[in-house]
Order: sequence, then C-alpha cells, then structure tokens
Amino acid sequence: MIKFIAKRLGSGLVVLFVVSALTFTLLYTSSGSIARNILGDQATPEQVALKEQELGLDQPLVTRYFAWLGDALSGNLGTSWFTSEPVANSLATRIPVTMTMVFAAMILIAICAALIGVAAAVKRGWVDRVVQVGAIVGDSIPGYVIGVFLVTLLAIQLGFFPATSTISPEVGPEAWVYSMTLPVIALLINGVTGGAQQIRSAVIKQLERDYVRTLRSRGIGEREILFKHVLRSAAPAGLTVLSLQLIGMLGGVVIIEQIFALPGMGPLAVTATGQTDLPVVMGVVMYTVVVVIVVNLLVDVLNGWLNPKVRVS
Amino acid sequence: MKLGPKAAAAALVFSASLALTACGGGAGAGSNGGGNASTALTLGTLRDITSWDPAQAHVGHALQPYQAAYDTLILREPDGKLSPMLATKWKYNATNTKLTVDLRTDVTFSDGAKFDAEAAKANLDHFKKANGPQMAQLASVSDVAVVDADTIDINLSATEPALEYFLSQAAGLMGSPKALGTDAIKTVPVGSGPYVMDKAASVKDSQTVFTAREGYWNKDLQKYRKLTLKILTDPTARTNALVSGQIDATLLDPKNGKQAEGAKMKLETNQVDWSGLLLLDRAGAKNPALANVKVRQAINYAFDRKTILDQVMLGQGTATSQPFGKDSGAWTEELENFYSYDPAKAKALLKEAGFENGVTLDVPTLPGAETLISVLQQQLADVGITLKPGAAITNTFTADVAAKKYTAMFYNLFQGEPTVAIDQIVSTKALYNPFKNTTPELEAKIQAVRTGGDDAGTLARDVNKYVVEQAWFAPLFRVNQMYYHNSKVEVTPQAQQAVPSIYNYSPAK
Repeated sequence: MIKFIAKRLGSGLVVLFVVSALTFTLLYTSSGSIARNILGDQATPEQVALKEQELGLDQPLVTRYFAWLGDALSGNLGTSWFTSEPVANSLATRIPVTMTMVFAAMILIAICAALIGVAAAVKRGWVDRVVQVGAIVGDSIPGYVIGVFLVTLLAIQLGFFPATSTISPEVGPEAWVYSMTLPVIALLINGVTGGAQQIRSAVIKQLERDYVRTLRSRGIGEREILFKHVLRSAAPAGLTVLSLQLIGMLGGVVIIEQIFALPGMGPLAVTATGQTDLPVVMGVVMYTVVVVIVVNLLVDVLNGWLNPKVRVS
Repeated sequence: MKLGPKAAAAALVFSASLALTACGGGAGAGSNGGGNASTALTLGTLRDITSWDPAQAHVGHALQPYQAAYDTLILREPDGKLSPMLATKWKYNATNTKLTVDLRTDVTFSDGAKFDAEAAKANLDHFKKANGPQMAQLASVSDVAVVDADTIDINLSATEPALEYFLSQAAGLMGSPKALGTDAIKTVPVGSGPYVMDKAASVKDSQTVFTAREGYWNKDLQKYRKLTLKILTDPTARTNALVSGQIDATLLDPKNGKQAEGAKMKLETNQVDWSGLLLLDRAGAKNPALANVKVRQAINYAFDRKTILDQVMLGQGTATSQPFGKDSGAWTEELENFYSYDPAKAKALLKEAGFENGVTLDVPTLPGAETLISVLQQQLADVGITLKPGAAITNTFTADVAAKKYTAMFYNLFQGEPTVAIDQIVSTKALYNPFKNTTPELEAKIQAVRTGGDDAGTLARDVNKYVVEQAWFAPLFRVNQMYYHNSKVEVTPQAQQAVPSIYNYSPAK
C-alpha cells in the first residue's frame, strides 16, 4: 500500500511541475503590458518602464520561471502585483472559506446521495421514478440559479438568512455558519441529484450480479448483503462520482461566491485574472491542481483499500 | 468497510450540528452588528483597495476608503468647490508656478505623529516617487519647500490648473511621516482622518471596519461612530445586500436599480462619464476615411442619441455631442446638440467627402456593450457606414490603445477637470489620443488652458468647441451614475465622482 501511495504521489508531483511550467509560460508570454495595467490610464512611458523593471519583467522567461519555482518550493508564491500582499497569505485566508463550503457540501452530498441512491435501487418502483425525475430536474438547473432563488426567497423575502456573507471575526462563528447555509445548499443540490443517480445505477448493477444471487441462496439476509457486500462493491463507482463532483464544484463555487459575496478563492481568481495579477493567478492555478491531485490520490487510496485489485493494476 | 458506518455517523453529527448552529444563529445574525443603527453606516463598495499607502490611492470609486482614514490638504465640496482642510489657505504666485500653502497646526496622526510642514512635504515627496497609479497628479511639481512649521511652497516646472483639485484627491492624502514607506502602512492606514481602521473586525476583500477617531479635529466631518465598507463586486450581490438591509447605500445600474426602487430605496443620480465613439485615427494612418472631417461629422449625424439612450440605457443619462462634462467649466449649451440626428446630412457629407460607399469602422467590443454596439451598427449602416465589432476588450486594453491597435472605439470615459480631461483624450500625451493628433491651433488653445489659472474652465470651452467641430469623437450621452440608499441615511452626490465622498453621508433626520 505504501508503494502504491508513493507511486501515486510521485506522479502527482510530476503533474504539478508540468502544469506549473506550462501555466507560467502561457501566462507570462500572452499578457501584454502588465505594467501599464497596474499603473492605469495616466501612466507615462517612463513610469511603465520603471514598473516593468521593478517586477523583473525585463528578465528572460526561463530565469523568471526557475526563480518562481525556487521560491515556490520554499513556500513563497510571490507577491501580488496589485496589492503587494504575499500570494501565500491571500490563499491562506481564501482557501478555508472555499474549502469549508466545498467540504460541507461534499459531506452532505455523500450522505444524501448515498441514502437516496440506495433507497431508489433497493425499493425501485415510485421511489426510483421520483429519484430519476429529480436527477434530471436537479442536473438541469445551474447552481447559480438555485443560489439566486434561495437569496430572493429565504434572504430577501423571508429574512431567514443574510443575503450576502457576514464572514467577520466580530460576528462570531454562528453567523459564519449561518452565512454558509445558502451557498452550501446552492452547491449541493446538483451534486445530490447527480450522485444519487450514479449510486443507484452502481447498486442496481451489483444487485444483479451472480454473487448476490449466491448469497441469497445461502439464506443471508438482504440487509447484510446490502451493507456488507453490495455497498462495498458499489463504493468505487460512488467515490469516483463524488471526486468528479468535488473537482467540478471548484468551478461552480466561483459563481456562488460572487453571488453571496464570500471572500473565497472564486472572487480572488476572477479579480486576479481580470487584472492580470499573474503571481496570484499562478497561486490559484497551483491551489486548484493540488486539490485535484489530492482528491484523486484520496480516491485512489480509498479504492485501493476497498478493492485490493486496484493496487496491483 | 469497518470505517464506513463510523465515517457516516461522524458526517451526520457534523451536518446536524451545522444545521443546528444555523438555526441557532437567529435572524439577528443576518443584520449588521454595531448597536445603534443611527451611528453606524455600512456602504457597499465595488472593490477592496490594493494598498493603504496613500501614495497608492486611486480616484473615483477607490477614493472613499482613503477619505475615512486620511485627511486631504484640500476638501472638495459636493458641488466641486474647494475648501480648507489640512490646508487653511493657498495661493499661487503671479506666474502660477508656485503654490504657497498654509497648514493647520492642531492635527495629529493616529500614531501620535504631528502634522506640520515637514509631514506635508514628506507626503508629497513620497507620492512623487512611489510610482502609484496617480503619480501623474504631481508630475508638474518640481520640488516642495518647507517655508516654516505651517507653510510649504509647492514649486512647479509647468503650470497645472488642476493641482488644487489633485490636492483634494489622491495626491492630497496625508499619512503619518513615521509610517510612510513602511510595509505596515500598506495593510493598516495611519492617517489623521475621521476614522481609524478596526483591523480585528476587517477581512480583506470582504469588509473594512472603521471606528470614529477620538479627538478628531473636525467633528462636522465625523458623523458616525462606526463605518463599514462591505466589498460587493457583483451588482446582484450589492442589490441583494441593499434591499435586505445589510448595507445602507451602494452604486447600482439601471437593471438592478429597478429592484432597489421596488424595495423603496432612494436614488441619487449624478453624471460622471460620457459614452460614445472615439474616432482615434484622425490623420488616417490606418483608416484613410477617418482623416476626412466630413466623414467624422457624418458619423456624428448618423446617431439618434435620444432613442438609443431610452432604449438601451432605460433613459438613464442625457444625450450630448460634447465630450467635456458640465462640472469642468468647458461645457456649453450650444455644443450639447451640435450634431442632431440627420441621416440625410450624414449621407450628403459622405458623398462630398467621396466616401459614400466605402467607410468601414473597426471597433473592439466593450464587455456589456454588445447591445449598444449593435444599435450603433444599425444606425451607421442606414447612412452607408459599416461598423465591424472586433474582439472583446481584454486586460491588455490600455497597452493596445497606446500601441495604436484601435482606429476607433466605443468607450465610457470620466469627465474630469479641464486639464484632466484634456490630458485624457485630447493632448498629445493623452492615452486616448494614441495617434498624437494635433494642430498648432489646438496646441495654442490647450496652452491657454494650462496657463489660464482660475480661467482654465472657461478657456477649455475653446478646446471643447474645436474637438466637437472637428468631430474627434462621436459622443452619445452622459451616463447617470445611480447611487441608491435607504431611508436611514441622507446622501449628497459628489461632482465628478460615481460614489459620494465619505463626508456626504449623514443620519436621516
């Protein structure tokens, strides 16, 4: 198992390196006159030249990349060109907001999707049909539409929740959780309906397999068959779906954070990209790649743990 | 499998506690903390500032937070009149090349440092060399000399009629001389302003909280005990925050304004920008047709400005033919409707110019202006001009403009003081005059404005008239800035600013 994890970890690091080199090259060769963007409309050519020198933009690309890589390996992701704030600091304050929201949504998705999916697969009949219809409806409504609907109804009309975040040290953790409720619901609806559908299919597939018939013929109870055998075999499919949803959610969360004015990674990514704040954009890309690698690694490890055959392949 | 049920149980406990805490939060958590509502003001702002170093301050939307923490040398009243602030009086010498400024002596900064002539000099020197976004404001300042403890001389290498205005803006913000140039002032402001930042309650890119500064020298400018600037980039989020009572006032657009009006919010309108075409290639370097003044005039006659304004902007603005704003002093009634809607005249002018079938205008596409550009395309097509919308404006836009990539473009531009406007769109150093078009006649008019002192505004009318007659632009309308607020606060719009200055808010009586 350790060898398996080490192998996966090694390939993850290679991916990280390749993505960083490619992203750096693409960003820094296609971004026009960044110095002028920073200084604004009124800047003189002399000011622009001075700024370019300050930012080290007069250096060759390869030199700049390896300087960046060297710093990044020691935890220094550079400094924002627009705010002078270290990129690592910006990420450190943003990541908890986004990841709390994403993980809260994922845990709820996992629970709800598993319960609904298993119920649909076992009960079939009307329960199954409702889940099927729900999956189509849930999948077809984008998260941001759900977000806008929730704000209009539950925040503005009924006043149950704040319309935008109240994430602030002065209001305490209660208000923080309170601020997170609508964004988390907006994020999880698509995930629950989609996930339930996948888990339902995986469970049905297992229930139709020969080993289930054999277990039944031995007189083993349905409950034991379901929880001890079927779910274990269906778990890899479910885990893969959840991991894909988590990765997909990193995109959806950008819009949700904008709607609810949450100071997470979304607005940071949007602002940095709009301004061409390349050190911050690099930081955001690296964060996203690390999350994707870690999620894939965790899923691989869990799958390997549940199913030893995966470790060998 | 062994961990499965445990993990599920843990997750259930977590989600249940999440839900319970959410319910326990109560409705009060959704509203703003801060006790007495009449002494707390919460504003929705469009973006967080990049640095609290006053030398990195910007104008327009971005000036407001600096005004909370920093005083300026000169105070700009809502109507644009300049009044004393840290400077008690100021006077030019006969040649307008030296501004002597008398300063207050009873002001201290929030770190205890004293404001005096040395502090003012330190700030102006710091602003000049810090390479901030508004560094050009002090470009004409050659040096600052301390005359005595409460007097400085600002010596100029060239006359600058907008200098006093700049001293009420970014260049006039005064920070503690002990803090200038340190890293600390980038994240926490150290000024003499009416409020001090509450660092513990502030969250970068989410909200900045200020509390009233004890012993502030001018209680008239300090109308609240607490001031919160809530950063709401998305217009929908700003609208939601306003109508649900999370903020007291914010800037919206015509579309979101409808929702705010439905929730009984009050509207203050103020015209700050003009929208229209900039016909940049007036010498025909890339588009020969644009070298002919008759073609440029034909473009102006082709637009039915009033109809475009009503249909695309829901009537929020005023149709105009001139690029200079009402508050600049250069505005005149006669230029307001200089180019009326007259497609027949447009066609005739094109024919006279020999371009009745052959004018094509390439413009980049401004994000959000797609509908407007298609209307312009239609109206130009009616007189025989082809408008070709190109690629969207990107984040390399300013560099592209400077590199003469665009021969014409649709844009929204700020209408500032006469020399500010001239240096933005008319003079050869203006970014929006990338082809450096000029004539001796125009140069003389611009020079008259630069040396005109108090008459700069009136003299700029000649520049305005020249560029209108020569059809350097095809202005369409001045746009209404739509500032909405609730009934708890009274707001006075500020001339030439989309958002009011921080002093323009007071609790409703």
